[in-house]
Amino acid sequence: MTISVETIEAKSADNRSPVDTRRKGRLNPVVAYLLRRLGIYLLTLWGAITLSFLFFRLIPGDPISAFVTSMESQGRYGAGDSSEQVVEYYRQQFGLDGTLLEQYLRYMERVVFHFDFGPSLVSYPTPSTDLIMRALPWTLGLVGAATILSWVIGVLLGTLLGWTRSSWISRWSTNLSLGVSHIHAYFIALLFVYAFAYWNPWLPASGAYDARIEPGWSLDFIGSIIKHGTLPVLSIALVGATGWMISTRALVVAILGEDYLTFAAAKGLSRWRILTRYVMRNAWLPQVAALGITLGGVVGGSVLIENLFRYPGLGALLVNALGVRDLNTAQAVVSLLIVFVLTANLIIDLLLPLLDPRVRQHR
Amino acid sequence: MAFINTWRQSGQFRFGVIVLSLLILMGVFHQLLIRLHIGDTDPRQIGAFGILESPSWAHPFGTDPYGRDWLAMNLLGLPSSLLVAGIAGLISTVIGAVVGFVSGYKGGKTDASLRTMTDMLLVIPTLPLILTLGAYARGLSVLELALVLAAFSWPFAARVIRSQVLSLRERPYVELSKISDLKDRQIIFQDILPNMMPYLGIGLATSSVGAAFALVGLTIIGLAPSGVLDLGTLLSLALEWGALSLQQWTLFFAPMTLLILLFLGAAFISQGLEQVYNPRLRGQQ
Repeated sequence: MTISVETIEAKSADNRSPVDTRRKGRLNPVVAYLLRRLGIYLLTLWGAITLSFLFFRLIPGDPISAFVTSMESQGRYGAGDSSEQVVEYYRQQFGLDGTLLEQYLRYMERVVFHFDFGPSLVSYPTPSTDLIMRALPWTLGLVGAATILSWVIGVLLGTLLGWTRSSWISRWSTNLSLGVSHIHAYFIALLFVYAFAYWNPWLPASGAYDARIEPGWSLDFIGSIIKHGTLPVLSIALVGATGWMISTRALVVAILGEDYLTFAAAKGLSRWRILTRYVMRNAWLPQVAALGITLGGVVGGSVLIENLFRYPGLGALLVNALGVRDLNTAQAVVSLLIVFVLTANLIIDLLLPLLDPRVRQHR
Repeated sequence: MAFINTWRQSGQFRFGVIVLSLLILMGVFHQLLIRLHIGDTDPRQIGAFGILESPSWAHPFGTDPYGRDWLAMNLLGLPSSLLVAGIAGLISTVIGAVVGFVSGYKGGKTDASLRTMTDMLLVIPTLPLILTLGAYARGLSVLELALVLAAFSWPFAARVIRSQVLSLRERPYVELSKISDLKDRQIIFQDILPNMMPYLGIGLATSSVGAAFALVGLTIIGLAPSGVLDLGTLLSLALEWGALSLQQWTLFFAPMTLLILLFLGAAFISQGLEQVYNPRLRGQQ
């Protein structure tokens, strides 16, 4: 790939045709754009992790006493053992000794270089890192599938709504999806669970797969995952899709008023060509860019959905951890969710110049 | 003025205002309504009625496992939900307005740093942070709770307001005020603020929705302060009792519907305001 680009570059330098020199000039802004975007990513990541560190340190109440009390209640210590020594031991174990700056530097060193969030309490002494890595694939799958599904359906239907904007079907569907888009996915999930898991027991109501099936790359297991994932994914995707429909429709209607469409029609292009090449391409590009902004909300909302479905992802882990005041695991989950959302944003921004020639020229 | 104008032009705004007003009326007069519904019985009294009764004329939403009338319980929970949403929305609109104003009006480095912060809070998932805070901060009052929620829901208002200030700043009459050597404060309060009202409304509606939902999230997970009885608490109680598997659908349906109406009302108000006052959207309906 790179070689072929270079050969084209070399050829273009030889030929000195005006078109090709312009192409050569374009490459630099792309590199500059990518570098700047990467810089912003690292800066935001650092800021977010630092803020979350401060956030967890400034939480009211002493996490270590809470921790020791919690250990006592689990019967790991006799009530009398929770002396200064025990508290001091755990303070060290959890990296809570020394000044805030020392703690911060140690925390950053541990997390950034060793990806170590310390021991968990939910299943002590398993490291929090192990727990979050076990839960991550489920959340990635859930959020990823729901996001892609809702985006594709929403953008396609939204284009259709805009294209046929004066028909009564389009008007009614627009109003309907406007209403649905403001209902939170959690409520849709509740309705779905009730309707399709309890009232009509068609789909499982909880879990990520059937416990009786051996996990592995078997057809049964994958089928079980899909069956268990259907309701949570669909409930996130339905609300998401209506949101994309509304915004895509607005974009399409705006594009339909542009002069270049009148020109394209006057040129005698077919309606289909105008729709696919002029309208859709212009409408879906900004929607790719918008994907990143919505992701934070989807990830946040999935915490609730996971708990409703007892889905073994990060959201369920977070709530379990908070239930026993497991600071390390909670912090690990929050940090991972932040990294996940920021990285997804970075990937989208890095893909943009590939999809949109205007980004390549301007930035 | 802005209200009448929007009312006349936008059906969405009318819908939102009507729904939200009904809810607020229900919230304000909840005691009267409860009295009309079940007489002098204390709605919280355990065993006042039969256990887990199905919906009937006497109990439109049935009764809960403790024999309390579910409609009365919902009327009891509605004011807290409205109050937290309203107060949190108000506080975050104030924060958002200040940040947005300073950011848009000052420009330059102030704008850049404030915007970075706003964007960061907009992008990262805040619900997990709110849940964490809720788990550790026990026994919060309604006001403290609203403050916590507001701390996370102001960025949207800030962004809406900033972009509007940016555009107003370049208007001829603002230029004129600047040339005539008026103070910043005078320009802000006399030239810019009056034109910001619809945008403050949008900010208020959106951040109220955000705060209300965060509260629902807290209560559903069971991490909300224990003293507050709101619709989210009722919803989580219903789920805890197994309303789904018992097929007592009214138990979760009632608080859920009220919450959905609250969200829809606020969302449609903001949508309507945007439709009328955002020129880029205006041509599109």
